[in-house]
Amino acid sequence: MQRLLIAMIGLVLLTGAAAAATLEERVVEHRLANGLTLLLMERHQAPIVAVNLTYKVGGVHEHNGITGVAHLYEHMAFKGSRTIGVTDATQEKPVLEELDRLAEAITAEKARGTAADRTRLAALRKQFAETETKADGFVVPAELATLYQRHGGVGLNATTGKDLTRYFLSFPSNRLPLWAAVESDRMANGVLREFYKEKNVVLEERRQRTDNSPSGRLHEAFSAAAFQAHPYGLPVIGWPSDLDGLSKARTEAFFQTYYGPANAVLAIVGDINQKDVIALVEQTFGRIPARPPSPPVLTIEPPYAGERRVEVEYAAEPQILIGFHKPGADHPDDDVFDVIDSLLSEGRTSRLHKRLVQEKQLATSVSTFSDYPGAQYPNLFVIGATPRAPHTAAEIEQALYEELDRLKKEPVTPRELEKILNQVDAAQVRALRSNSGMASRLGYFQAINGDWRETFKQRDRIARVSPEDIRRVAAQYFTKSNRVVATLVKPAKQETESKP
Amino acid sequence: MNRVVAALFARVFFLTALLTAPPALAPTAAQPAPLGDPRTMIFDPVTITVPEVERVVLENGMIVYLLPDRELPLVTVSAMIRTGAIYEPADKVGLAGLTGIVMRTGGTARLTGDQVDEELEFLAANISMGIGAESGSASLDLLKKDLSQGLAIFADMLRAPAFESAKVEQAKRQALEAIRRRPDSPGGITAREFRKLLFGADHPLGRESTTDTVSRTTRDDLVAFHRQFFAPNSLILGVTGDFEKPAMLDALRKAFGDWQPQPVALPALPPVTASSGPGAGRSVNILRRDLSQTHLRIGHLSVKEDDPDYFALALLEDILGGNSFTSRLFRDVRSRQGLAYSVGSRIAPGNAGPGVFMLHALTKGPSTYQALSSMLDHMEHLRQEPVSTEELQLAKDAFLNSFVFSFADSGLIVGRLMGLEYHGLPKDFLQRFRDSVVRLTKEDLLRVARLHLHPDRVIILAVGKDNDFEKPLSTFGRITVLTLKPGG
Repeated sequence: MQRLLIAMIGLVLLTGAAAAATLEERVVEHRLANGLTLLLMERHQAPIVAVNLTYKVGGVHEHNGITGVAHLYEHMAFKGSRTIGVTDATQEKPVLEELDRLAEAITAEKARGTAADRTRLAALRKQFAETETKADGFVVPAELATLYQRHGGVGLNATTGKDLTRYFLSFPSNRLPLWAAVESDRMANGVLREFYKEKNVVLEERRQRTDNSPSGRLHEAFSAAAFQAHPYGLPVIGWPSDLDGLSKARTEAFFQTYYGPANAVLAIVGDINQKDVIALVEQTFGRIPARPPSPPVLTIEPPYAGERRVEVEYAAEPQILIGFHKPGADHPDDDVFDVIDSLLSEGRTSRLHKRLVQEKQLATSVSTFSDYPGAQYPNLFVIGATPRAPHTAAEIEQALYEELDRLKKEPVTPRELEKILNQVDAAQVRALRSNSGMASRLGYFQAINGDWRETFKQRDRIARVSPEDIRRVAAQYFTKSNRVVATLVKPAKQETESKP
Repeated sequence: MNRVVAALFARVFFLTALLTAPPALAPTAAQPAPLGDPRTMIFDPVTITVPEVERVVLENGMIVYLLPDRELPLVTVSAMIRTGAIYEPADKVGLAGLTGIVMRTGGTARLTGDQVDEELEFLAANISMGIGAESGSASLDLLKKDLSQGLAIFADMLRAPAFESAKVEQAKRQALEAIRRRPDSPGGITAREFRKLLFGADHPLGRESTTDTVSRTTRDDLVAFHRQFFAPNSLILGVTGDFEKPAMLDALRKAFGDWQPQPVALPALPPVTASSGPGAGRSVNILRRDLSQTHLRIGHLSVKEDDPDYFALALLEDILGGNSFTSRLFRDVRSRQGLAYSVGSRIAPGNAGPGVFMLHALTKGPSTYQALSSMLDHMEHLRQEPVSTEELQLAKDAFLNSFVFSFADSGLIVGRLMGLEYHGLPKDFLQRFRDSVVRLTKEDLLRVARLHLHPDRVIILAVGKDNDFEKPLSTFGRITVLTLKPGG
């Protein structure tokens, strides 16, 4: 019986590895002379294609004073180029320049604080509003999105994170030339029009995701407490005052620095012919001149000396986040954390779910994140939980530490590890169900790990993690002096409703 | 440098000729793109081959749709069950949802709930189960090699869930905590309060669970609810993935074949009387919360899915606020005025009850009036003037050219057929939708706007800090101040 079981496990492992090999063979990599990496996978299930354009730029490339610039640029990339989104770019240009001069004058005047000349400010604002109306006259609203939609594009969107900014959509595969023309144009010749209005849109996004969201507030304060030096501590959405003062010149300079083709990974999955697509991308993206390499992130978070705790007061039910500093994507311990991540919170049979949600019923939910808030640089292993009344965040914290201590003392069982591998195997098969999911995976691993093959090697790396690795990593990283804890607490005098 | 330019021009010439589109040069000094102007590109229409889906009725009345798709070694079985929260008793709101949850967690005749989880997660198999307002749903998704094991558990869960007491209690405690936490999510508050205003706080489509209704619900209620609605003749099953039809039918007969049919009665939904009829005027409802951003909803009841005007209304809604980036609301309220990050509209056609047509936005307190006013103007404008030729063409092109995505995978195709059968709609519904969109004219849209949009009698809901509003909302209609009840 025992032997049979082992033989069966061997067979399952083989199937998983074999599946990854076949998938890997279906991916074609092509490097353009300007440095852009193109990844292609043919999948002919339906006459559709998914594209994912990932730039190695995000919040991690910001500093105080320009927080939010990566995300704001992502919004601006939908405003068009010198030919798209405008009636006449030549006539538009001086108007936009005048608008920028006025905006900078307003920022400078405001920066004088109480000494600011209010009459001058009012006059500048009036002029600004008039010039903005003039600039609006050149705008062809939403022309870029209109082109995509008219041709059946769906899921047009973009995201900005700590490490990456990603642009994606899906469309009927015979429209690929249209996409290549529009996309390469906007990535090379973007014009920051409607810039100042879009800041207001982003401020609304901030109000929605952060200011009026209990968890949004908690996460922002948690990251800020965890990283005192490294830019992972800065909010991707931006501090409101930074957004307000952010100049177009700084935004443009940010684009010039980080949006070079060598920083881009273009993943295309679907009903395509690889040769045709390579030719098409060469003709379009290939025209974009190479740029100097973008500067590296130099700051390293100094070693921790003592636990950091932060309380966020907000009129809402309690939540807790606990983080432990850990290395980034290039360190072997990162794989061990991936296993610990699954072990602790993947599914109903995971350790934390079983202990905290089912048995003790202290929490309604518990989750872990192994690359928080970004994956590229040294980051945090984070546990988040929602207490169930009348239980408190403190009780949860206690129970969590008991579970982490178990990891340090008792070796993880082979069955637990086997379950995790089975889940990784199945996830790799399921990943191919969607073109966009596969494109996203390929682009992500190429951008973060420097090699798309890592998406298929992930399984082998996880298979190599031993119970002893887990014990060692738990003992090394899950210590009091290496952790940061943030809790959401009600203000002393609770006011949930404003008075009429 | 010169060589590069020459080479680029050569490409332009060559490719534009290939595309048979005129090389429309932009009137600016900008460099011409190598493929020509994307605005003038022309492509062949997108052709779709829709695979044949087999429909089989088992001897006990269970309907089964089958569509093999051998690309990946996976199988998915999904189910729709004729039930819903609209059928639960008024004093036990939340019962249907709890039943769905504990069917999944509370074990079966053969395995405890914990054993089920162990077995499924070891196989990396997923089973989900849930009961929504107007239907129940379940799905099994696993590697092909694990089908017989997974299917047995799935069938047991649907047929003979054990409803372990501990899991019932756990689900109730979780539900109570969720109720406690409702005030933390302004979006959730807005959605629930708006439904109450539309359908009435006591109507099955508007009511919400409370601490009382959940506390009162017992294990026996869950058992009875399951017994009342779960029968083979009230199930529609859809199977996709890597299988042979005869073998799959054998497996399904083995899993479900001896399940005896029983009559299932679905009580009729009471009529909706809460919302304003013609002449009732607008209602403006304010729910005060200490937020820096106001959640706005504007809307009224609307057509059912089988209404002949639904297709035209759906396209009109795309133009108003449905299409992101290009819709009127997005372009004006977001891009031009910078008032919102989230803004748009939605039409949810009715099935059991009436549908809903609504506009929504989140804007800072001091621009609440302006945003609301703009949104109402856009709604009114659709009744005053026909949409432009370009807008109609864009909405049609977007719909028709993205139509292929409705057939992007076998799960979508089968899921749609199940939904259509469930709601009593014709199986060629989507084709009819497409055909009617092709024929729609500006006049059609104006007619449905005048018939089905009623900005003069909308329900307006603003959740936020009304002290911050730049102007009182009383110009839009009579104001009612709502309060949030604790525990409900």
